[in-house]
Amino acid sequence: MSVSATTKVRAGSSASAAAARSERGDREGRRLGLALTLPAQLLVLFIAAFPLLMQAYISLTDWSPLDGIGWWQAWELWNSFANYTDLASDTRFWNALWRTAVVMGICVPAEFLLGLGLAILFMDEFAGKRIFYSVLLVPMMVVPAVAGYMFFMLFQSGGPVNDILSTLAGTRVSVAWLSDPNLALLAVIVADIWQWTPLMFLILLAGLVGVPEDQLKAATLLGASWWQRFVTIVLPRMKAIIVIALAIRVIENFKIFDTLYIMTGGGPGVATETISVYIYKLTTQDLIWGYVAAIALAILIALSLLAAFAIKRMAAAGKEAP
Amino acid sequence: MTAIRLDGLTKRFGDFTALRAMDLDIRDGEFMALLGPSGCGKSTTMNMIAGMEEPSGGRILFDGRDMTGVPMSRRGVGFVFQNYAIFTHMTVRQNLAYGPKMHGLPAHEIERRVKAVADLLQLTAFLDRPSAKLSVNILQRLAIGRSAIIEPAIFLLDEPLSNVDAAFRAVMRTELKHLQRQFRQTMVYVTHDQLEAMTMADRIAVMDQGVLQQVGTPLGVYNNPANVFVARFIGSPGMNLFRGRLAESDRGLVVDLGSLGVTPPLPDQLSAVARRLSGGEVFYGFRPEEVSVSAEGQGIRLPVTFVERIGARTIVHFGAGEAALKAVFDNDVGLSAGETAVIAANEKTVRLFDLATGLAIGSA
Repeated sequence: MSVSATTKVRAGSSASAAAARSERGDREGRRLGLALTLPAQLLVLFIAAFPLLMQAYISLTDWSPLDGIGWWQAWELWNSFANYTDLASDTRFWNALWRTAVVMGICVPAEFLLGLGLAILFMDEFAGKRIFYSVLLVPMMVVPAVAGYMFFMLFQSGGPVNDILSTLAGTRVSVAWLSDPNLALLAVIVADIWQWTPLMFLILLAGLVGVPEDQLKAATLLGASWWQRFVTIVLPRMKAIIVIALAIRVIENFKIFDTLYIMTGGGPGVATETISVYIYKLTTQDLIWGYVAAIALAILIALSLLAAFAIKRMAAAGKEAP
Repeated sequence: MTAIRLDGLTKRFGDFTALRAMDLDIRDGEFMALLGPSGCGKSTTMNMIAGMEEPSGGRILFDGRDMTGVPMSRRGVGFVFQNYAIFTHMTVRQNLAYGPKMHGLPAHEIERRVKAVADLLQLTAFLDRPSAKLSVNILQRLAIGRSAIIEPAIFLLDEPLSNVDAAFRAVMRTELKHLQRQFRQTMVYVTHDQLEAMTMADRIAVMDQGVLQQVGTPLGVYNNPANVFVARFIGSPGMNLFRGRLAESDRGLVVDLGSLGVTPPLPDQLSAVARRLSGGEVFYGFRPEEVSVSAEGQGIRLPVTFVERIGARTIVHFGAGEAALKAVFDNDVGLSAGETAVIAANEKTVRLFDLATGLAIGSA
């Protein structure tokens, strides 16, 4: 601290002499920098800012591609905030949002606990660890569409899931998984857990490996049991990484679409219709793009706020446990 | 307060034997240093005493009680890690209270102990500070305090000064020795730094390649090394050792140093012991500190190859055939590289080692 202070004082005396020189240099440098980065900045503007502004503009109109006018002429169909007020009373939207929350509320904790449990198992040595490790990561590599089709087949009335249940029960079980409103949602949840637990496992294993072994030994020597060590040393040390893992899965899970759409198409009826599926249907079937833009923008804002909150928490946690 | 006994303690990792049948008695309240180069098995020994590793053979006894199979959480051992292993996500107070809390002590008792230990170690001012950014001497005190608070029978310290810069190490050594006097506890201290071992320990156990070489007081080990390894390892620089052959002459028993072309006589006591031994091949050893510049004809004339100035002292390297002879002089010695000088070793401090076994012959 004191060293840097003296350096600063010394630098101050010669600074005035160099100031004029460096100011001109700074200005020239800035101009050159702008010229060099301009193409990239324009590109970023085009791919990020432009669509966002376009979306905001369309969301304030009744514009649809069937209207026969270009989107830039959408002001002719200006409806102020009607789309947003409609949204507030759109029960199908709120139901889809609730369903998305239910799926998230089951999937993310389940993936977290399973991933954490597996990660803890993998901290110990056991026979065949490498093979199990590779096998565990396979679901994550499967293309979601393929996974969706796989679970579509598994959950057919005459499919393997019912076959296994029949063997276990001793009598023929023929549950219509994907045509029962409640069971369809369950099937979708199972598929998501299957596919994304490995990611949780991988992130949490990295976190566990990062817990200093000396501290765990020190805690043991001080009389801490396994559970006490886990609560007092491991969890606090992993706080930041747990927040990251949960944030990734919450954001990803909110957008759940491909596996689900292939398995159920949002059905039966609207029983598995999540936000993404609802937006997809509005876009491709109802073609009311002004309304779609409004929903998407509202969700984007809500998710951004959520992410900002998570990042803030992450930074705070990171400060506590360096 | 506990005495530790190691009884034929052995540790094998696959084909590699890290520790070979070690017997050692550590007395109640003693400060014992395990000293040796890296890979000598000192840390393995310590880890087995703490219960972090299982012995492959032999036993560890605390006050006569066999510790085999007693888990490390129930051995009552305080352990200070090389990096102190402070729980950096907690405050100093939480670190100190950790052990008593895990032992399920009542809150008022925890508070009383934290206060007592903090007072003793001068940590009171830091109690509510986060422990992550404390300076290293406070971390050391905290590490010791955190272990001491559960009143362990034994303290184990694993090279606690190796992460500290040289200037600060002297301060920490004094402080550590002072703490040990306060706690009056059996302490085992692992180090590769002989200065730490010499300055702090009551006794030193010198180890090499998984074998205990010698146990003794710091001065005992320095003055009377039990074998060639200890002679070379202890002292900075280590003892000068030259091959020689015992021979009788009209001056009594002498050592023919062959290539050096001199035949120094031996002190009476040493000759008496050496004469009884069969075979005449020995190592002739003397400390660099016991070398002096002498008159022509009363020593060996050797070329100076290198002069190392370390402040108060000057280490002069002489070329002596294939070996090098090192001597420590005061810093005003008038020698420089390229010159030659006549030097002689103080006869009374000469040590002999059996060439075949490396063991010391006799003892002064």
